[in-house]
Amino acid sequence: MWRYLAKRLLLAVPVLFGVSVVVFAAIRLIPGDPAQIMAGQAATQEVVEEIRRSLGLDQPLPVQYLYFLRNVLHGDLGRSLFNGAPVVEELAQRFPRTVRLAFASLLVATLIGIPAGIAAATHRLSWVDTLVMVLALAGISVPVFWLGLNLILVFSVRLGWLPAFGYETWRHLILPSVTLGTASAAVIARMTRSSMLEVLGQDYVRTARAKGLPERAVVYRHALRNALIPVVTVLGLQLGTLLSGAVLTETVFAWPGIGRLLVEAVLARDYPVVQGTILLIATTFVVLNVVVDVLYALLDPRIRYT
Amino acid sequence: MNRILLGVGILGLLVALSLPGQSAPRGPEPGGTLIIGRGVDSVTLSPYATAAPDAEVIAHLVETLYELTPEGRIVPKLAESMPRVSADGRTMTIRLRRGIRFHDGTPFDAYAVKWNFDFILNPENRVPFRGILLGEVTSVEVVDRYTVRLVLRRPFVPLLAHLTHDFLAIHSPAAVERAGGMRPPNGEPYGRQPVGTGPFRFREWVRGDRIVLERNPDYWGPRKPLLDQVVFRAIPDDGARVLALEGGQVHVAVRVPPRETTRLALNRALRIDRTNSVRTIFIAFNNQKFTDVRVRQAFNYAVNKRAIVQTVLGGAARVSDAPISPGIVGYAPIQPGGWPYDVNRARQLLAEAGHGGGLTVTILHPTGRYVQDAAVAAAIQAQLRAAGINARLQTMEWAAYLAYTNQPVDRTPVEMFMLGWGTVTGDADYGLYSLFHSSQWAPAGFNRAFYRNPQVDQLLDQARTETNPARRADLYRQAMILIWRDAPWIFLHSESQTTGVRREVQDLVVHPTERILAHTAWLRR
Repeated sequence: MWRYLAKRLLLAVPVLFGVSVVVFAAIRLIPGDPAQIMAGQAATQEVVEEIRRSLGLDQPLPVQYLYFLRNVLHGDLGRSLFNGAPVVEELAQRFPRTVRLAFASLLVATLIGIPAGIAAATHRLSWVDTLVMVLALAGISVPVFWLGLNLILVFSVRLGWLPAFGYETWRHLILPSVTLGTASAAVIARMTRSSMLEVLGQDYVRTARAKGLPERAVVYRHALRNALIPVVTVLGLQLGTLLSGAVLTETVFAWPGIGRLLVEAVLARDYPVVQGTILLIATTFVVLNVVVDVLYALLDPRIRYT
Repeated sequence: MNRILLGVGILGLLVALSLPGQSAPRGPEPGGTLIIGRGVDSVTLSPYATAAPDAEVIAHLVETLYELTPEGRIVPKLAESMPRVSADGRTMTIRLRRGIRFHDGTPFDAYAVKWNFDFILNPENRVPFRGILLGEVTSVEVVDRYTVRLVLRRPFVPLLAHLTHDFLAIHSPAAVERAGGMRPPNGEPYGRQPVGTGPFRFREWVRGDRIVLERNPDYWGPRKPLLDQVVFRAIPDDGARVLALEGGQVHVAVRVPPRETTRLALNRALRIDRTNSVRTIFIAFNNQKFTDVRVRQAFNYAVNKRAIVQTVLGGAARVSDAPISPGIVGYAPIQPGGWPYDVNRARQLLAEAGHGGGLTVTILHPTGRYVQDAAVAAAIQAQLRAAGINARLQTMEWAAYLAYTNQPVDRTPVEMFMLGWGTVTGDADYGLYSLFHSSQWAPAGFNRAFYRNPQVDQLLDQARTETNPARRADLYRQAMILIWRDAPWIFLHSESQTTGVRREVQDLVVHPTERILAHTAWLRR
């Protein structure tokens, strides 16, 4: 197990290295010159040159990359080109908000998705199954901003129960996490259903039934534990998606997390902030993947990574 | 006896208590928090922020020597009176109001003004627009504690208008020092916590979420601020911003999309304010690629500006009849009703220019920066087809867009592009000199159309030094007639600002320079 963990962590290093190269290169391939943008529209050429020098943008790309890498390894993601604030500080302020939103969404997704999936599987081909699958399809298909705006319209404008934007209290969390969690709930419901169906067809379930156990016990004590193993994988990956994919939800609900930070930074061409945000998201993904794999190994005694 | 007196007294008191608020009209009430919902958060609150949303917040905190009223007049603000300009036009003497203090308690005086202007004049500080705003000023002198004198290289008539520009507002030098100075290009770290003389003081900024200002209890002005707080909240999604207004979570929503206005007009808790803006939207040609004036004119004939304003913009705009908008000093309608729509004339001109078989062009346009910008571009594309012009549309995100259209003439691949310009000083110089003078070609200046007409150059130069207002207006009129015929742009429209406001909000000013001002606003309860 420990060897496996070490191997997984080592494998993450080249992945992160690759991510850093891609992030660094991609952002410099977009047309436009950050020095010009910073200097403003009416700046003279020499002013622009001076800014370029002061930012190190006059250096060849590989040299710029090495500086960038060195700083990142020292935990220095640079400063925002626009307000001079350290990127690390900005991320430290915003990331926890996105994490909060992502976990709340995951909670919503799990609370809806797993019971719905179990219900569909245990009532296979009945109206319950059809209903769950139709709703799951709708949940995946509905655009996030459409759902978000309609939730605001009903629960905030018409009924006045919940705030439409902001992030201060748990009440602010409800609408955005339902919005963000819906698609994940749909994915989890489908995953739970198919996994459950597979397990219910296994020999040990038949054995359990044969020895006269009540159906409830068969489903929840014997089948569910095994059926949830692949679901855990999906949950972990969903969390990654939620953390990074919160951009639209954060925009609709004016939730100042890293999703919106990323959008703002891209629009302002704030290189260091864009780089830092993407690196953070990528790192989160890699870490989550490792965690999921480890959990998988713990849950399923058949899986032994040696 | 006592009992009767007491009874009468109580009765009187009850009457007195019940009267106000029922019969007597109520005046402005102090207190409360005004929440303004807008599309973006500020980038910086430093003095030299170029984006309009930044200027909007700053305008509550700091003040300029002179002020441009919403009606387009220039009036003294921190200055006590209109400036005295010497006979040769080479000095401008300004008397300042006495007894004003910055929010940090330090006094506002001639030394503070000199400090601010010296900072801008120092080329090392790289203040954008320095050349345009203070270009002819060589030095700033303190005559006495409450008098400053600007010394000019040569007469520079737009200077007074430029003194209303937010970049030339007066900040507390002590506060700048305390914050650790202003570093180029955006004046951070001071820009996180600006200190001026304005009706509101900076209180808190939660990035990406809100900026909170609080009342300045020691405000010097004749109209004291009434609100306890003004909060600017960033709600990027248009739909969500409008819903927040309907739900009462914000009092004001800026940039209400045209498709929402009819529905909102039915809501009795709100009103929709339409305010003119000094911003003009146009599609510029690269005039060094489109050298034939007949082709440029043909495009102007081929676009039905009125139809665009009525359908795409829901009437929230005004067809351009000059290169700048009404309300600006020097504006004159050059062609009433705008450039006429005439497809046949367009075809004929194109044929004369040797494009009888049609023409293919690429038009760049932003998306989300101006009201319905992408939809306007699409409408133009459709209309051009009728004239035999095949237009390809291309869009980019805003920062890349600005950079892409700002390349030198020998390198730029740009053929045509949409842009808007706000003449925020209210004076034609800022709108015409910057965009049409040949000394202002990109990337050094804002003449991205690479337009050059020596006659226009001469008229614009002359107008900068012409002190007689009537003659100066005439110079601008002549210049605009030439520009109009040369058609370096497709002249489109001036935007209106569509603002949703809840009924309880009183005396809020939506300024033509695209700023929401809460200086005198109050909330009816």
